[in-house]
Amino acid sequence: MTDTPTLGSTDAVWMASRRSAAVERLDDLSMPSEREEIWRYLDLDFDPAFRTAPLTAGSAGSTDAVLEMWHGNTVSVVDGFVVTEGVPTIAEASDEIALVNDDHMFATAFTAYAPGAALLTGDHLGKPLLVDVQNTSDATTFPGVHIAVPRGTEATVIVRLRSTTDAPATVVPTVTADVSDNARLTLTIIQDWNYNTRSLGRAVIELGRDATLVLAEIGLGAKIGRLHLDVNFVGNGSTAKIYGAYFGEDDQTLDYRYFMNHIGMHTRSDMFLKGAVEDEALSVFTGMIRIEETGQKTEAFQTNRNLILSSGASAQSVPNLEILANDVMCGHGSTVGPLDEDQRYYLMSRGLTPESADRLQVRGFFEEVVQQIPDEAIAAWIRERINGKYVAAQEEGRV
Amino acid sequence: MSSALEVRDLKASIGDLEILTGLDLVVPFGEVHAIMGPNGSGKSTLSHVLMGNPVYEASGSATIGGVEIMDMTVDERARAGLFEAFQYPTEVPGVTLDDLTEEMAISTPSDDGFEQRTVAASERLGMERFRERAVNVNLSGGEKKRSEMYLLGVANPKVAILDEIDSGLDIDAVREVADMVESLRGPGLGIVVITHYSRILRYMSADRIHVMVGGRVVRSGGPEIAEELEADGYTAYQVAAAG
Ligand SMILES: Nc1ncnc2c1ncn2[C@@H]1O[C@H](COP(=O)(O)OP(=O)(O)O)[C@@H](O)[C@H]1O
Ligand SMILES: [Mg+2]
Repeated sequence: MTDTPTLGSTDAVWMASRRSAAVERLDDLSMPSEREEIWRYLDLDFDPAFRTAPLTAGSAGSTDAVLEMWHGNTVSVVDGFVVTEGVPTIAEASDEIALVNDDHMFATAFTAYAPGAALLTGDHLGKPLLVDVQNTSDATTFPGVHIAVPRGTEATVIVRLRSTTDAPATVVPTVTADVSDNARLTLTIIQDWNYNTRSLGRAVIELGRDATLVLAEIGLGAKIGRLHLDVNFVGNGSTAKIYGAYFGEDDQTLDYRYFMNHIGMHTRSDMFLKGAVEDEALSVFTGMIRIEETGQKTEAFQTNRNLILSSGASAQSVPNLEILANDVMCGHGSTVGPLDEDQRYYLMSRGLTPESADRLQVRGFFEEVVQQIPDEAIAAWIRERINGKYVAAQEEGRV
Repeated sequence: MSSALEVRDLKASIGDLEILTGLDLVVPFGEVHAIMGPNGSGKSTLSHVLMGNPVYEASGSATIGGVEIMDMTVDERARAGLFEAFQYPTEVPGVTLDDLTEEMAISTPSDDGFEQRTVAASERLGMERFRERAVNVNLSGGEKKRSEMYLLGVANPKVAILDEIDSGLDIDAVREVADMVESLRGPGLGIVVITHYSRILRYMSADRIHVMVGGRVVRSGGPEIAEELEADGYTAYQVAAAG
């Protein structure tokens, strides 16, 4: 392990000025209003306690199921600090890396208080990489990961967000990626915070010419689990498949704001998210396909399917289009509803109890997404986690 | 000894629509019976009502090997020995045939023959390449019927109701399905083949044929009935039923 890092001490010149501008700007910003569309469904009545951001990493949690089955490389980020030796941060990088430029409190606080996102480049991406992001206390933290995939190469990265305690915390996890020309990034984000955590997540991914992104986000944990994603199709011929699977229970809010920004020609995006909610949970999917005048020949699709498993649970599903080009192809589909009666009847006619029939149906529902996860052992673990939540809900009579 | 299936005065409706209007049917163990009737006569409704589909309001009696099933849930009826091969088998995305047969075995812990029957039925019907695929998803008509016959082999029921197992198939496939039915015939099983056309009956032997019109059986008899229907159609029965 390296010497314990402290905030800002290793900033490059550009970062130091960016950080101090953000600290200043933060004085003028307050909690965003739920009246603004982008924050609409979140309960923002809490103290973000930015000034509790730790100055050093807490002691890392023990290894766990996912780490134990992982055979690739691992990078650890604890309480926002990169603690794996030999992994630099973007704050130290000589050239500016700044893909997030939102002017609101959480993003600005990230710039002001994040020690520096782990900078993953060709050196680290030779084989599949697991980024183990841990929160160890109730402090507000700013973990970041930046992935730079060099021209013509392929990278597989799994980002796992987890809490090592039950402490309530606010966290602003930020994942950015720059996928160069002809490069390919397979990125999986597993959001597995404890149920007391408010996670205001942000992701921005930029695609070069003929670059490919396969992104899957699995939403398991958090009290507020938000992910605001922008994919910028800058290069001609860039493509992205965006998968999502989320299972909400308790009073969780899982809030996905996905923006596909088609700038280059012949670009293609395909969003495919599936979720289930039970108990008092709420899920939100707001998809936006935005095609600029320059984005001719773009094909863009968005699909969001939701299962409502309890009467107190609900799902909002809002696909949007903003098209400035005239030669494009777009499609969208969105459904919100209960388990399928015909499937239940068919499975029961084969001798399955209603409980087994529904369990199988729920598992099948998520399978199209779970099978996209680039590691079979982790995919099996996710299947088990979702299944476990559903079985617990059955046993406790919530579904 | 009790019959495989015994149905008495079975009635079923949806809202104000009466579909089954007092149906009687007896199928002894070891026999294959055919139910023939025009479209809309209630053939699929009969199989769904016997299976316990909650969409229908039903009354009357039905027994499997002497055990009354009308007060049972769908899964209880299946475990009591009833199998319905669906006319339109339901797609179950993301769930493979292997997942399903595994759950079938878990649901009936008292029966330890599942694994053996899975292997045997899979070999007999050439199902190897389908077992890792999602149940009924992206299958042709013939493949769906084959898959249903496979599940029948795995379930090992006392009564099998095969609803239009021959519809939508070309003549070679019909012959194949007829062979499968013949090979199922045995002393522990009563088979009901529901069909609109007499075509499949050319390739298999039915012990008895029942003509169903207007939600009830209007005539029962030997194989000669199929020939009559092939020549004359259902018109005479329909006129009589309406009259
Ligand atoms: N689930 C249902 N909802 C509404 N009507 C139905 C339903 N099932 C059957 N029916 C009606 O009952 C009649 C008999 O249908 P069905 O049993 O499918 O006939 P068959 O299989 O002999 O062609 C038809 O008029 C059909 O429209
Ligand atoms: Mg029918």
